[in-house]
Amino acid sequence: MLSRLQGKVDVYRELILIARNHGLRLAVVCLAILSLQPLASSAAADDREVSVGAIAQAVGWNFQNDIIPVLSRFGCNTSGCHGKAEGQNGFKLSVFGFDLEADYAAIVQEGRGRRVFPAAAERSLLLLKSTGEVPHGGGARISRNRPEYARLRDWISAGMPFGSSSDPQISKIQVEPAERQMEMLQVQQLSVTATWSDGRKEDVTQLATFQTNYEALAMVDENGLVTAGANPGVVAVMATYLGQVDIFQAIIPRIEQLDAAAREQLNQNIASDNVIDRQVAAWLLKLNLAPSGPCDEPTFLRRVYVDTIGTLPTGTEARQYLSETSDNRRTELVDQLLERPEFTDYWTMKWADLLRVNRRTLGRKGAQAYYQWIHENIGQNKSLDQFAAELLTAEGPLEESPAAYFYKVVPDPNEMANTVSQVFLGVRIECARCHHHPWDRWSQTDYHGMQAFFTQAVFKPNEGSESLTNSGVTLTTHPRTNETIFAHPLGQPVPQESPVGNRRELLAKWLASPENPFFARNLANRAWAHFLGRGLVEPVDDFRMTNPPSNPELLDALAQYLGDNHFDFKQLVRTIVLSQTYQRSVVPNETNATDAQNYSRFPMKRLEAEVLYDAVCQTTGVQGKFAGVTDGQRAIQLWDSHVPHYFLEVFGRPVRATACQCERVCEPTVGQVLHVLNSSDIHDKLRHVDGRIASLCLENIDNQRLIEEIYLSCFSRFPTEEERAATGEHLRITSVRNEAAEDIAWSLINSLEFLFNH
Amino acid sequence: MARRDQYCDRLRRRDFLHCGTAGAFGFGLSLSQLLAAESQAAETGQRAKSNMSLIIVFLQGGLSTIDTWDMKPDAPLEFRGVFNPIDTNVPGTQVCEHLPRLAQQMDKFALVRSFGHNNSDHGPADHYMLTGYKPGAGFNGGLKPNNQRPAHGSVIARQLGPRGSVPPYVCLPKMHSSAGSAYLGSSVAPFVVEADPNSPSFSVPDLAPPLSLRGDRLDARRDLLTHVNRFQNSVETAANRGALAMDTFRQKAFEMMTSPTTKSAFDIAQESNSLRDEYGRHSLGQSCLMARRLVEAGVRSVLIDHTNWDTHNDNFNVLKHDLLPHLDSAMSTLFRDLADRGLLDTTLVLVTGEFGRTPRINKDAGRDHWGPSTAIAIGGGGVRGGAIIGASDARAEKPATDPYGPEDLAATVYHTLGIDPSTQFYTPERRPIPIVPGNGRVIQELF
Repeated sequence: MLSRLQGKVDVYRELILIARNHGLRLAVVCLAILSLQPLASSAAADDREVSVGAIAQAVGWNFQNDIIPVLSRFGCNTSGCHGKAEGQNGFKLSVFGFDLEADYAAIVQEGRGRRVFPAAAERSLLLLKSTGEVPHGGGARISRNRPEYARLRDWISAGMPFGSSSDPQISKIQVEPAERQMEMLQVQQLSVTATWSDGRKEDVTQLATFQTNYEALAMVDENGLVTAGANPGVVAVMATYLGQVDIFQAIIPRIEQLDAAAREQLNQNIASDNVIDRQVAAWLLKLNLAPSGPCDEPTFLRRVYVDTIGTLPTGTEARQYLSETSDNRRTELVDQLLERPEFTDYWTMKWADLLRVNRRTLGRKGAQAYYQWIHENIGQNKSLDQFAAELLTAEGPLEESPAAYFYKVVPDPNEMANTVSQVFLGVRIECARCHHHPWDRWSQTDYHGMQAFFTQAVFKPNEGSESLTNSGVTLTTHPRTNETIFAHPLGQPVPQESPVGNRRELLAKWLASPENPFFARNLANRAWAHFLGRGLVEPVDDFRMTNPPSNPELLDALAQYLGDNHFDFKQLVRTIVLSQTYQRSVVPNETNATDAQNYSRFPMKRLEAEVLYDAVCQTTGVQGKFAGVTDGQRAIQLWDSHVPHYFLEVFGRPVRATACQCERVCEPTVGQVLHVLNSSDIHDKLRHVDGRIASLCLENIDNQRLIEEIYLSCFSRFPTEEERAATGEHLRITSVRNEAAEDIAWSLINSLEFLFNH
Repeated sequence: MARRDQYCDRLRRRDFLHCGTAGAFGFGLSLSQLLAAESQAAETGQRAKSNMSLIIVFLQGGLSTIDTWDMKPDAPLEFRGVFNPIDTNVPGTQVCEHLPRLAQQMDKFALVRSFGHNNSDHGPADHYMLTGYKPGAGFNGGLKPNNQRPAHGSVIARQLGPRGSVPPYVCLPKMHSSAGSAYLGSSVAPFVVEADPNSPSFSVPDLAPPLSLRGDRLDARRDLLTHVNRFQNSVETAANRGALAMDTFRQKAFEMMTSPTTKSAFDIAQESNSLRDEYGRHSLGQSCLMARRLVEAGVRSVLIDHTNWDTHNDNFNVLKHDLLPHLDSAMSTLFRDLADRGLLDTTLVLVTGEFGRTPRINKDAGRDHWGPSTAIAIGGGGVRGGAIIGASDARAEKPATDPYGPEDLAATVYHTLGIDPSTQFYTPERRPIPIVPGNGRVIQELF
């Protein structure tokens, strides 16, 4: 029986594959239809009472259409259960049911046929286990009175038909409502309708699985009941069924309307020249959120230094800037910062994280050369598309072409495809290596289409070193069907033959082309997330159709802007930091305290490990020392992320082992607090004889001036009257002036105002 | 002699001590997590239910169990080795002659002799034993931490939360590479005591201000901090998760620094000289004593990372003269001390390496790595003392009865601690991962 089946399955597979890859799925499959309807269509879409239609029928069972959804819905084939690579207690299913025949064989043939028993279906191990009637590691999953139990039972009774390749296939699912405005704490039942290739529609709500992309805004339960939270914003809930996905998007405004003045201000913003402010204001208006007021000069100064060049303003720089009166001073300041050498150091560090400059993988020489290459490119402000293209198409001896080290970091074509997609497209495709991406449209064919771009890249020995060549000839094949897959970018048609020439060059060309919807959006989103504390798509490297941007118009506008300006990164930075949106205060108003998504106020961001350490060193006037590194280097200049350093480790320096932005951790811990409070390193810096405190105390300045200097170097602002009084009093009553000054600097360094960018 | 400060892969012990401790000092719960944990606990009644603690004595390198508590005196000489078994205080059970004191505490712990797994590499096997998960593709043992899955201690910290002012999860006298919290985040990473409690100058880093700072200056600084920290208790801070967490942690940090409980928990000098001697004046002995103090003070789980058990060379001399006397005094006193203080019923003690050692003795009179068969010692927390679970075959090459593995160990640990082994967490990519791999089952014969 199986061999007959096998033939049918192969035909079926081919159809699906061709159809899917040509976007013609519906048409092709329609041609093949014999209209056998396995399930009667059921409840109308607008009926919020979810129900599953008639289950039992004499003919027309289809394993994929009828049984797989049950296994998925009850978690049988998840990666934590029978879906994991090695299966579970001898019973292995493919994760999310991507491998039909294997699953069919596992249920019907393996386990010495004990799993199904058509003569007395209820005694099938499949049912006894899933209801928990016999001991089951996964517990009781399906109760006997659920319709899905009856469905499994009747399918077994019917002799476990696999179905026919001419059976209807699922074409799409549709979630209803597709979008709506919800009130806080309101509930909304979703319904999911599957459309089959024969045009039939079916309510599959009860067998779909649901997931929210932002739990703080809305939760969804296993039945598709969405409950809005108490925060304003935009949230997406996805439903998945038989590999199809769709989303429901809710906009949850604050309940109270804005007053006239706030609306007026937002309307003015909407008319603003700044593309960012226009789009942000439009959303704030929809959400009834009034933005916080503008930040003051000292705050802007410190904020833009830290975010743009990873460096605090010195006391002198702060005093200078605060004395300026020009209307244009913020713009002038930003233009200066963009040309500072620290800009290059800082952004090289950020790229070195993503591109994984790692001494342990590349060795000292390699990592240094690779770092240097990035540094030169950032220093020239090379356009980002050019930068990416040069990295992608690197070729030749490592000594001459240090960008080729990228291919040393990610040594096989799968890793290359994963990394390039995640870093430059913001798309995590690795799921699709082994099975259809559960939450996106990517199939294994899409994955291997990307992988095929990299199979030519092969290192060859070259005069005692290595040279990256394009001589690889490995063919990429689909891991299940063994069909050859030719290189094609994500979302592009599958070619019938391999593209001629250097395939990495073709990929590089596509990367920055207008046909690529990801590249510009991804880079714009990463930059935006850096400055504003949260990506428009979050996590920043997880663009998927089920994780839509919180403000799509803004993302599009930023991407457009970046493309229009030839991927000039400095220009993008300039526009972002000069927007009113970036220059808002952290102080919430009565409307926006719970908004963490829509940029109605500036977020408090903990300084990154290296930036914070440099800030401590600069403030205390004592340079950091790093093992094996020439004196005088700052932490943001370190090319090696493995230099042993307790402070940097405690504060979450990434180890550069993956392409994930999430490696850099800014999550506070008690250990961090304890270290700043008690570390002898910081203590020694504060009281160092050549340090800043000691030298300030040697200068002939009065206590007020001393306090001012410490405040300017730590907080980039003058102390308030109350602070002058408290610190002045401490100086007055402490017998040793140096010690009093150290105490003041210590308390400033330990305060949130120092540890955070605000 | 075996080179005592070297692993078989030529990494010096010093490298392990100094090659990086990323995330090693990450204890702490963010406020939101704290609140989430509270509400979760309130829902399930978990926290109220569980007052259990865990001490893992990890003998890194791999304890030779055929030479200690799964001896095979009837096996050929090239297997059984030169040690003889002796009787214990549990009739019918024997252990190695070089563990005489432990033999008298045999009634307080059980041995699972049908234990094993299929990994015989230091890095992955460590991860397997300390998390219950065999590492998957892309495992990089050189990372510190290298966790693809959270260690037992992190799961326990996340599920049960802190108890009092002390951290919920402590690792000593250094970070173990697989003791990390993986996707559970730095908030439940271990608080690492990077110091050897056997050292005369022992103190916990950063728990107290530098000695050069006079006590009155700390008070003055704290006072000043309240005046200059304008974001403390501010509306800005309240509206920002990270800032709020940092603000909360500062309170927590000051509590730890000033709490007599915490201070005294780490102050091993408070113990009598006689008890310290009984545990043994060595790193393992004093670490066990410290673990008992910490558990007593409220720490939920302690991981003692003790190295040097990788006896490829001269196995018998090294064990007899060095390692076993230390293990004997430390482990026997730990069980006795916990029992005398009434803590044994609420403290699960696990003593294990990452794997066993080859039953066949090699040409260097040593034994090599052996995942397929080892024996773990586990006691307290309701475990039947003196129980012998399962058996290995005649030459201790593989389990002879229903085998147990790291998955089962994880299930057993969580079960004992009052945590449902079927609990699952989500990774940042939203993949649900159960705390115990699906096939893990509680070793029921222990109870």
